[in-house]
Amino acid sequence: MNFEEKLARIKVNSFSYLRSDWLLEMIKIFGSASEFLKQDAKTISKEGKISLESAQAFLKSCAMLDAQKEMEKTEKVGGKILFNGEEDFPTRLAEIKEAPLLIYARGDLGDTQRASVGMVGTRKISPYGRRAATQLAGDLAQSGIVLVSGLARGIDSVVHAQAVKNQSATWALIGTGIGRCYPAENRELARAILDTGGAIISELPFDAAPLAHHFPRRNRLIAGLSDLVVVVEGEVKSGALITAKMALDQGLDVMAVPGPIDSPTSGGPNKLIKEGAGMVLSASDIIDAIPSNKKFGLKVKKLYNESKAPSEPLTQQEQKIIDLIGEGSKNIDELSLESSFDIMQLSAILFSLEVAGVLICTDGKYSRSKFN
Amino acid sequence: MLCSITSACLKGIEGYIVNVEVDIAAGMPSLTLVGLPDQEVKEAKDRVLAAIRNSGFDSPIKKITINLVPAEIKKSGTHFDLPIALGILGASGQLSDTAIANLKKYIFIGSLGLTGKVHGCAGVLPMLIALKRKGKEKAIISQDNLEEAKYAAMAYFSAQNLKQVVDLLEEKIPFEQELKDNSENLSIQEVYTEDFSEVKGQTLAKRALEIAAAGGHNVLMMGPPGTGKSMLAKRFATILPPLEKEEMLEILQIYSVCGLLNKRKGNFQRPFRDPHHTISNIALIGGGQNPRPGEVSLAHNGVLFLDEFAEFSRTSLEVLREPLETFKVTIARAKETLTFPAKFTLIAAMNPCPCGYHGHNVKVCNCTPVQISRYKAKISGPLLDRIDLTVNLLPVNFSDWEKKAQGPTSKEIREKVIAARKIQKERFKNSTTTANAFMSVAQIKEFCALPKDGAQVLELAMKKLGLSARSLDKILKTARTIADLEGSKDIKKEHLMEVFQYRPLDRKGVRDI
Repeated sequence: MNFEEKLARIKVNSFSYLRSDWLLEMIKIFGSASEFLKQDAKTISKEGKISLESAQAFLKSCAMLDAQKEMEKTEKVGGKILFNGEEDFPTRLAEIKEAPLLIYARGDLGDTQRASVGMVGTRKISPYGRRAATQLAGDLAQSGIVLVSGLARGIDSVVHAQAVKNQSATWALIGTGIGRCYPAENRELARAILDTGGAIISELPFDAAPLAHHFPRRNRLIAGLSDLVVVVEGEVKSGALITAKMALDQGLDVMAVPGPIDSPTSGGPNKLIKEGAGMVLSASDIIDAIPSNKKFGLKVKKLYNESKAPSEPLTQQEQKIIDLIGEGSKNIDELSLESSFDIMQLSAILFSLEVAGVLICTDGKYSRSKFN
Repeated sequence: MLCSITSACLKGIEGYIVNVEVDIAAGMPSLTLVGLPDQEVKEAKDRVLAAIRNSGFDSPIKKITINLVPAEIKKSGTHFDLPIALGILGASGQLSDTAIANLKKYIFIGSLGLTGKVHGCAGVLPMLIALKRKGKEKAIISQDNLEEAKYAAMAYFSAQNLKQVVDLLEEKIPFEQELKDNSENLSIQEVYTEDFSEVKGQTLAKRALEIAAAGGHNVLMMGPPGTGKSMLAKRFATILPPLEKEEMLEILQIYSVCGLLNKRKGNFQRPFRDPHHTISNIALIGGGQNPRPGEVSLAHNGVLFLDEFAEFSRTSLEVLREPLETFKVTIARAKETLTFPAKFTLIAAMNPCPCGYHGHNVKVCNCTPVQISRYKAKISGPLLDRIDLTVNLLPVNFSDWEKKAQGPTSKEIREKVIAARKIQKERFKNSTTTANAFMSVAQIKEFCALPKDGAQVLELAMKKLGLSARSLDKILKTARTIADLEGSKDIKKEHLMEVFQYRPLDRKGVRDI
């Protein structure tokens, strides 16, 4: 692919309202992206079976984008634009139904055929979801599996953060251009992902804004880069379930983490399980489902043999508080009513539990941070 | 003929002496009032002449000039009516020599009706206090101001009408009959109709308020509607230490200036002010064309409760920073600078998110994370820096509400507060600091030494809980108060650990790891 053609493809790719398989189809029809761009709106409308207005909007968007500049900006942040059809383009992405025309990637993609698991879930994370995601993602990262997610709030952030914590590569497929960070609070996390050998990937133009229609589309890329997709938490109608559907469409395994039947955020995974998705009770369930040819080199053994890190034994009082909190979350008022400790005693107990990482506190409510 | 009468006026809430000079001379009949009177004072002309006539005297048809000394300060208020009327009577020769001589003995403060009736006016108490300081002994005031005059430690005569005042001057009626000094009997009776034990549950919030009362800390309560934020705030004054005489006098002066004193007859509580969130900056902080104390000053020595804290306009919240830092409000004008005291405990309450139900056990919050963080960000950092204690409140379960005892009564908490205050009084006996919350950096260093394991606790909190060094001083001050409440000489690590319960907003940047 020559340079001219690359620039043309970057331009063609700028209009995010049209599907990438349509773009590829058009490039096929006209022979090349450069040729495609030379057409007028009428021809495109006729050949591409889209309305004249859409064709005009498409051409306008293409004309507005400075492809040269896109390349420069991407290189400046240490990124690369990979073109579908070139050798360095991830094979698995080229194989999906709606393969992207190109991707912008920051960081190190490495061997894209490595064992990888997509872990997705709700932004409105529950204490249970947090525990589950932390535990599962942590175990998978330790066994050397690449975690794929979307760098959104909630489950996505937990998954990426676990990978970073365990010095394992993770791929973040984002719903904006790679020149942006959305949500902004994940800037630090994004940097950490790049530092630990992960990559941030998007098919959108460098500066693309976080528009609503970007997110469902990037979900197909999460599925596309994964060997299987695990839904940790999510409502029945949620982005996580869209990803699951995309994965099924691409012929991947979908697994789900069961949750309480009355928890709205577990509605999605529970429904998936009912419909036949694999049930995740531990990380080994996920690893078992990874295609066997990819299990080479995984540090699975370590995971299975690993004994629990020796933690300080809990005092009787601490155990009492943990039992009172149980699976849910409680604030200090409830704990003091139920335990007969006064505020000062409770504060001391909660403080040591929180500092030890056994409990976490959000908005004044304490919940367990990991499984026993 | 010239006649000079002593009266007073207000600058902010400080009184000062004003001499009312009346000169009557032959010439075109007229009445001129000079000495920077404002509209209220100017209108005295018409009231006074009618009052003189209707009290059975003659209003002189001559050239009358009235001067208010010091002439360079702007004066306002209707209380110059009485001295002006007496000055006119004196200068026009309608008073006997006895009366003229007696005029010098008194100071006169009162407004006149057209019938000659002496009406009350605002600000009498601070004027009397200032005059007393200048060595004046006897005052003649309206009956309406009787209540407040009692506190000035000054002999006074409460007049019904102009005629009566003239009779007094002519020694037709004795002034001894009512001249008395009540200030020593001034008893502080605090009557509260509410009690802390009426609030069920909310143990943490109650404890936070107890600490706030003991150390003079400001509090922010965050929680969904119906969790008892307002209820708790309303009862906060009941656990504050009893008013001292000095404190009460300060309160009374401010209320006098605002003309609110007589409404508070006989019930001397610490003020509880809860302005609505639509309040203007001036109404909150004080000021205006004739500068008046605002809500922050009306809350002096008491509680300022700002419900729906995040709904206040940004500028209103920012003006709060000055009184929270310096305990007073300075209103600077080109011509003058006024100072109003404003030492209050701020109790702020807000919802956790725009819809109010974030974190609610039952109801669902539909706010997006962005909306929630934007809502919280309405309270600026510098303002939060002045709030030592923050608590999250959650709705109380009905079963808990039913079965559990109500917790300590106001009286019980107050006893602990008084004990803690006593320790602080001893601690700060050589400085102007009155409570732990107001400690200077040097004092924090002196009085908030940490035990060895305490320093470890702090370090852990910073590392693991993401507490910022910025809040260190506040943590130490609060820990000091908790130690005082426990009667402990040193700050222990338990005290520190409790403080972290009141700093939920510091726990930012804790990663999802």
